[in-house]
Amino acid sequence: MSTQKTKVRIGVDIGGTFTDISIMDARGGIITKKVASTVDNYARAIGEGLAAAFGENALGGADVAELLHGTTVASNAILELKGARTGLITTKGFRDVLELRLLRMPRLYDLLWEKPPALVERSLRLEVDERVDAKGKIVRPLDPAEVEAALDRLLAEKVEAISVCLLHAYVNDAHERMIRDIIRRRAPEMVLSISSEVLPEIKEYERTSTTVINSYVKPVVGRYLKSLTADLKGVGITAPLLLMQSNGGLTPAEVAAEMPVHIIESGPAAGVIGARALARRAGFDKVISFDMGGTTAKAALVENGEVTRAEEYSVGGGIMIGSRLMSGAGYVLKVPAIDLAEVGAGGGSIIAIDAGGAPQVGPLSAGAFPGPVCYDLGGTEPTVTDANVVLGYINPTELAGGAVKLHAEKSRAVLAEKIAAPLGLPVERAAHGAHLVAAANMIRAIKAVSSERGRDPREFALVAFGGNGPLFAAGMARALGIRRVIVPPSAGVFSAVGLLYSDVEYHLSRTYRQRTTALDLPGLVAAWQALEDQAREKLAADGFRPDQIHLRRFAKLHYKGQAYELSVPMPEGPVTEATSARLDQAFGDEHERTYGHRAGPGEPVELVSLNLAATGELDTLRDTGGGMAAATAAPGERQAYFGPEHGWLPTPILGRGHLVGRDRQGPVVIEEYDCTCVVPPGMTARLDPHGNITIDTGIAA
Amino acid sequence: MTTASFDPFEFELFRNSLLSVADEMALTVHRTTYSTVLRDNLDYSTAFFDGRGRMIAQGFSLPAHLGSMPTALAAVLARFEGAIRPGDVYALNDPFHGGMHLPDIFIFKPIFVDGELVAFAGTISHHTDVGGRVAGSNAPDSIEIYQEGVRIPPMRIYDAGHRNETFFELLLTNVRVPDMVAGDIRAQLAACHVAEVAFTDLCRSYGIAKVQRLTDAMLDHSERMARAEIAKLPDGTFTFEDFLDDDGIDVGKPIRLKVAVHKTGDRILFDWTGSSPQVRGALNATLSFTKSASYCGVLSVMEDRIPNNEGAFRAIEVVAPAGTIVNCVHPASVAARGLTGFRMVDTVFGALAQMVPGKVTAAGDGGNTNISIGGYDAERKPYIFCDFTCCAWGGRAFADGLDGNSHMFANMAGQSSEVIEAEQPLFVECYELLGDRGGAGQFRGGAPYRRAYRFLGEEAVISIRSDRRDIRPYGLYGGYPGGASMNVLTRAGGAPEVYPAKFYGQLRRGDLFVHETAAGGGWGDPLEREPARVLKDVWNDFVSAASARELYGVVLTADGRSVDLPATEALRGRIRTARGWQETPYALRETPKQAVEWPERQA
Repeated sequence: MSTQKTKVRIGVDIGGTFTDISIMDARGGIITKKVASTVDNYARAIGEGLAAAFGENALGGADVAELLHGTTVASNAILELKGARTGLITTKGFRDVLELRLLRMPRLYDLLWEKPPALVERSLRLEVDERVDAKGKIVRPLDPAEVEAALDRLLAEKVEAISVCLLHAYVNDAHERMIRDIIRRRAPEMVLSISSEVLPEIKEYERTSTTVINSYVKPVVGRYLKSLTADLKGVGITAPLLLMQSNGGLTPAEVAAEMPVHIIESGPAAGVIGARALARRAGFDKVISFDMGGTTAKAALVENGEVTRAEEYSVGGGIMIGSRLMSGAGYVLKVPAIDLAEVGAGGGSIIAIDAGGAPQVGPLSAGAFPGPVCYDLGGTEPTVTDANVVLGYINPTELAGGAVKLHAEKSRAVLAEKIAAPLGLPVERAAHGAHLVAAANMIRAIKAVSSERGRDPREFALVAFGGNGPLFAAGMARALGIRRVIVPPSAGVFSAVGLLYSDVEYHLSRTYRQRTTALDLPGLVAAWQALEDQAREKLAADGFRPDQIHLRRFAKLHYKGQAYELSVPMPEGPVTEATSARLDQAFGDEHERTYGHRAGPGEPVELVSLNLAATGELDTLRDTGGGMAAATAAPGERQAYFGPEHGWLPTPILGRGHLVGRDRQGPVVIEEYDCTCVVPPGMTARLDPHGNITIDTGIAA
Repeated sequence: MTTASFDPFEFELFRNSLLSVADEMALTVHRTTYSTVLRDNLDYSTAFFDGRGRMIAQGFSLPAHLGSMPTALAAVLARFEGAIRPGDVYALNDPFHGGMHLPDIFIFKPIFVDGELVAFAGTISHHTDVGGRVAGSNAPDSIEIYQEGVRIPPMRIYDAGHRNETFFELLLTNVRVPDMVAGDIRAQLAACHVAEVAFTDLCRSYGIAKVQRLTDAMLDHSERMARAEIAKLPDGTFTFEDFLDDDGIDVGKPIRLKVAVHKTGDRILFDWTGSSPQVRGALNATLSFTKSASYCGVLSVMEDRIPNNEGAFRAIEVVAPAGTIVNCVHPASVAARGLTGFRMVDTVFGALAQMVPGKVTAAGDGGNTNISIGGYDAERKPYIFCDFTCCAWGGRAFADGLDGNSHMFANMAGQSSEVIEAEQPLFVECYELLGDRGGAGQFRGGAPYRRAYRFLGEEAVISIRSDRRDIRPYGLYGGYPGGASMNVLTRAGGAPEVYPAKFYGQLRRGDLFVHETAAGGGWGDPLEREPARVLKDVWNDFVSAASARELYGVVLTADGRSVDLPATEALRGRIRTARGWQETPYALRETPKQAVEWPERQA
């Protein structure tokens, strides 16, 4: 997969409200374009947006080297229950694994709770009388006639897709393969997923749920990609289409169509990858990415050039409601995904006073409609954006180059009436308090990915983006003891830009449960070899040369009996007698780092699974041109409030170009087309060679 | 809100920080723990107290632990107040000295800043084994506390930073899985350590005096929140009684739980007078546990989330006479009192359903069944399989009871059959929902599950604690009761035998134990259920065609694909007449007898 250097590369990120397009030209210049999403068919906005962008920039479809795409089409199909009518074939006695889930619910004291409906109705979950035990031995052989009967029933029920998940198929997949072959023979066109191919790992609920989701979204994703490919042809683009996966790597559209389970959380991943690329370029090896939009804020960690990944997550269960322990919402997917902590805090979060007299920010949100009171679209409750308007942080009359008109006086009036007066505070104090409480909520997301994993946030730089991220980032950084904040160019459409910095990735894994003191070394060597062969084969099929392929091996281990594994890099070099001790050592170190303690030397450590991350590096220009022109217009100025300590201060209102060749002491506000960046007093903003605003928060090293 | 020395936003920011400390403690326990009970069932809680021992923030917690933490710390203070030093750590588990039952070990760490005692961090974890006559220390059939395991009165387990080796050696010598217990205690200590570091930081940035004023304000704030919510509920007295089948010793003798809920203005009182005297079997609850069940009931009908701390509990009073099953005295056995807690919640819901019918459920499965199987492997190393599990919710005024969902009182996770088989000498033959058990109703009670375990080791002891065999989960407002629970043991080569709801016995290779949980009670008259919902239940095997006719009066067409509406109307009329209700019964524990013949029964 190589790219002609004279061509442009395009990133397209679809959100619920906007579709963002970024185009990187042959010299590394980036053009961005924001168009309204077309919810009935998301592909349409892409075609239309590209046609417009091509027109404005004298480009044509033939100039495109490749199109990189992040999409929420698969997660929407699940959240809206609009996937395929799916049937399930499973082991006798285990028909209800999908419905029993893990029994727990994500909320206490809530008798109104409804379980998310199973993606396969009970009448479409059929059993076959077979059984494999935990060691892979066949205890009851499978009778093909029973499979035929189950298939007859599912075909009569007109299912569009079938999943097969048998007990212990991760250790012996013979029966699943038999069923697959029967279905292929009888119904060659049937969409089919078998658990030993989708997720060959122990734990039947997680494996069944993941396998079912793959079937459930596959027809939807397939139709979408077909429609998109046609629309792209319509604007003359025949270049390869690559999709962002939940794990932060790209995958060719054909592979995504076959295994859509990897692109479910495609949307939020690109921003984190963009932050990683930026960190590498700007010379930071540890950054926290912070993405805040209108309704939610998300944080993720990048360390030594690697994003932190979670091995499972729940679609529709991502927002933290108080505690990360309150699991049980949504649909479980056990595939590697960027570990994002998400809180329900955004510009639209509503400020209110609770029955005990304490001010609260969120969890209710005014959303995009009616939105903040200052939009004057019918909003009646004060929001975080209203507070930022009152504080003078957000332009009092317009946003997005005049596309959105604001009414600052309405923000002020509603905050005064509903918050400041009942609490007996001046309105700016109330607005500032609300700003800080919103920041505190988001700080919990940052702690969830850092200090709760034994990482000290003070050692990291904060990369802020999204429409609202740069408004809060500097203040939050100071509260966390973070010294440096980075606000990239096009911060408001950074997810689309992030796509341009991604590589093709495959994550392969297999369960391999052995005590480290009793490793079957030849078995281990063979298992790694099999995974590596599989990865090289996949990347070669995608057109990568051997020198473009990079493999990283990780082992997941735990103290025998623990529920959670920790991932450590597999010791370099061949697997030998010494491997066991080195694994023990690496695991103990990581355990101590993450949890603050390690067990005694006699404590048995168990290897749980082998994981391979395989990257195919796109042969492409990775650096932006930088070289921003200095702004010539005179800066504006308005009053902004920075808390009781500083009060109202006359604050220069700048464009990014005003920072060229000149550091600026806070307070300043930098207004751009797609976002606003606040630099409080005591901090310094400057521009780095790549066009990033870097803010020194004034905390001593 | 007082604005004397801090503004309301400063208060909110502080509260946010403190809640995040308590949560971080909970995450620490979860991540570092060893045992399944803790890691999957989350049978632990964390809390944070001020220097006077008042609970100001509870992290993630099991509702069953709500009332326990303040009682336990009070016991530590009663014994050690004035002698508490930096670096000390205290523990206890004795129900007659602040504990609840022996597997629940409480650990408290005092936090000093500048030499001043400013706070306590506390954790409670259910340990897999604390010794005693039965592996797992959960046996329902012990008859005195001395049989149940190691009793820890309030003790100093770290003395100014020095580990009390005597304590640890004595404890770990007396438990069956010392590595696991030691690991889980380490997890509790790690959580206390996390709290100490974070709270010390808070004190440094706010100053100790201000922190004290802010924590006082947190208690007052929760109290105001709770009172505002209680004031919204209708005034009056609402009484209800429910029963446990028996204590497993005096078999067949039901145990009464009775509550009168008095609600006036912004106060609510739970009076448990009239409940049975304490029993010989291990179902006796401490007052702290009865408080937990009462708090859990009232929190469930509040609209706003009230921050759990002692302020909130000031508005809720609990009365329980000493020497009864709801406030037992020495030497009562208590190990299996969890069951009594669930029944107390059922009893509270039965009372609250009269006060606020839209907000609570009919009785659920009556949870939670405890299955403990323990023995020694070929190398004479002990193993214990321990599962606490429940499954079915009662019907609600607006929706069916949930099929396959934990009871909120102890929101525990189900264990993976594959992991059970990989780690234990057990083979799981099935794990599935059962049709025709959920109590019929306009809103059906939840379906229970069946799980079957075949034993593959040489020999083990099995200890089962279940209930709702004789006295089924009640239905409300005309809803029928849920189906009973069941235990069946099939000896290798033998025939299936029904076993009591609570028993203790031996397992040998090849024996098969099957447990079925009880089902949820229904809500509302089943003859009012939308026929289309009955049809869907038939398709999905939650209701058989025969039950659709007999219980719901719904007749399906010959192909089973749709409802025969005229025949349904007619049949419902006949059932109404035969049933002869003068008024809709409030609570049903028996299925009303069906006097209706249905001659045209289809094959």
